[in-house]
Amino acid sequence: MLDAPVRGECIRADSAWKIYDSAKGPVEAVAGVSFSVRRGEFVAILGPSGCGKSTLLMMCGGLEPITSGTITVDGAPMTGPRTSIGVMFQESTLLPWKSVLDNIMFPVELLHRPRKEHTARARELIEMVGLSGFENHKPHQLSGGMRQRAAICRALVYDPDILLMDEPFSALDAITRDEMNDALLDIWGRYTKTGLFVTHSIREAVYLADRVLVMNRRPATVVADIAVPLPRPRDPSVGESKIFNELCGELRGMIEHSHRAARTPSHA
Amino acid sequence: MRDREQVLTVALPVLTAAIGLIGWQVAVKAWAVPQVILPAPSDIWNQLAAVWTDLLHHAAYTGGEAIVACLMSAALGAGTAAMLASSPLLRDMLYPNLVAFQLIPKIALAPLFVIWLGIDAPSRLVFSTFISFFPVAIGTLAGLVGTNPNAIRLCQSLTASPGQIFRHVQVPYALPFFFSGMRVAATLSVIGIVIGEFISSKHGLGSYILLAGSRAETARIFAALVVLCAIGLAIYGVIALLEWRVRKAWRG
Repeated sequence: MLDAPVRGECIRADSAWKIYDSAKGPVEAVAGVSFSVRRGEFVAILGPSGCGKSTLLMMCGGLEPITSGTITVDGAPMTGPRTSIGVMFQESTLLPWKSVLDNIMFPVELLHRPRKEHTARARELIEMVGLSGFENHKPHQLSGGMRQRAAICRALVYDPDILLMDEPFSALDAITRDEMNDALLDIWGRYTKTGLFVTHSIREAVYLADRVLVMNRRPATVVADIAVPLPRPRDPSVGESKIFNELCGELRGMIEHSHRAARTPSHA
Repeated sequence: MRDREQVLTVALPVLTAAIGLIGWQVAVKAWAVPQVILPAPSDIWNQLAAVWTDLLHHAAYTGGEAIVACLMSAALGAGTAAMLASSPLLRDMLYPNLVAFQLIPKIALAPLFVIWLGIDAPSRLVFSTFISFFPVAIGTLAGLVGTNPNAIRLCQSLTASPGQIFRHVQVPYALPFFFSGMRVAATLSVIGIVIGEFISSKHGLGSYILLAGSRAETARIFAALVVLCAIGLAIYGVIALLEWRVRKAWRG
């Protein structure tokens, strides 16, 4: 009972480790990470590629076993996937033989949820992300950005409380990526969820998140926890503001610093 | 423009075949090749018209058995693939052996099936299935295990059971692969039945060809070959049609 969840706390990691066995010996993919995310908060995990941030996210989703330490969600330790947690991947991962609407309804089908009311919700989401008129298209007929819009709808259709997003827009071109960020902000304004968003883009992290966790490469752990004091709703003009750019500069400095530290040979 | 292309894709092979047939006809008549060596297309056509009912009688055996063998290959091939896909241990144990097994010239094993199963239809069906299920098994297995790992991860995040993942994701992914294997199996199953008929049967186009051969009735052999081609094309056509339907469902 000592570890009763703090009020409003949703996700909590306590010195979580992930160690892989490889031919060259054990690899520390996640090295003792601790953080917490409040309910309704949007937190970005920012770090260079290969720093273990995606692995950490998958551990929070119950898709990767935790080597040691704990991750609790809603007070219960993560041991496997849960339906209260939705996941978005780097790829849209739409099923090629299903139409856009059927892809979005796929979780409803798998979870045996009532079809009729969820179809209404799916149509509402489709409208929101601007995919109206494309319900019956197949994924190969859509652009990359449209596919990720459909993936957002699919992640939200069954109404999970928490959304984990693994660099969902990193494969898109810069212009589409900005559009997707705005679409995500719109959705966040409408449906309050707890969000954990992995990215290697500093501007994306600051634009979207309430808080940015900066992750280092070696050791693979969270080195800073920075609040983003930008009011919501946010729109692209935020990107021009002084406070936005100062924060980006500060974060860039931290990442470069940790890079330099990683390159310097440590204790003998 | 598009219509013209479509017409050409049909017209070109048909025209080429027609030119070939005409060349054959003219060459045989011009050099007066004896009919026993090579009959002209017109001679084959006349023979076909003369023994039409006889050929149909035998074709019913060969065609019927080839269809059954094809269906058995589909079931055995898909079943083997599902079994191997479900267990990496089984896959490691069996897959290399299955491939090594393919190096045996399996047609040479036909007499064994006569010893084991006699000279009737079951022997031919099992032999034909034995030589034609392999491409179905390999193709389907490739589809089942080659399923996009991200799609599987997505299902896992939705707490799907392995059975649900198999049904909702792996099977649809594997369908086009299954049909590619079935196209090969369609032709192999006809070969299997004809070989079986060469060895043991009193019915079927295989035994008909063998009998005609022993009497040096060359035009009759060719007439039977025409019917065999028609059977093979029909089975292949049905499978290609099914495959087209599946691909259409995929591509929209």
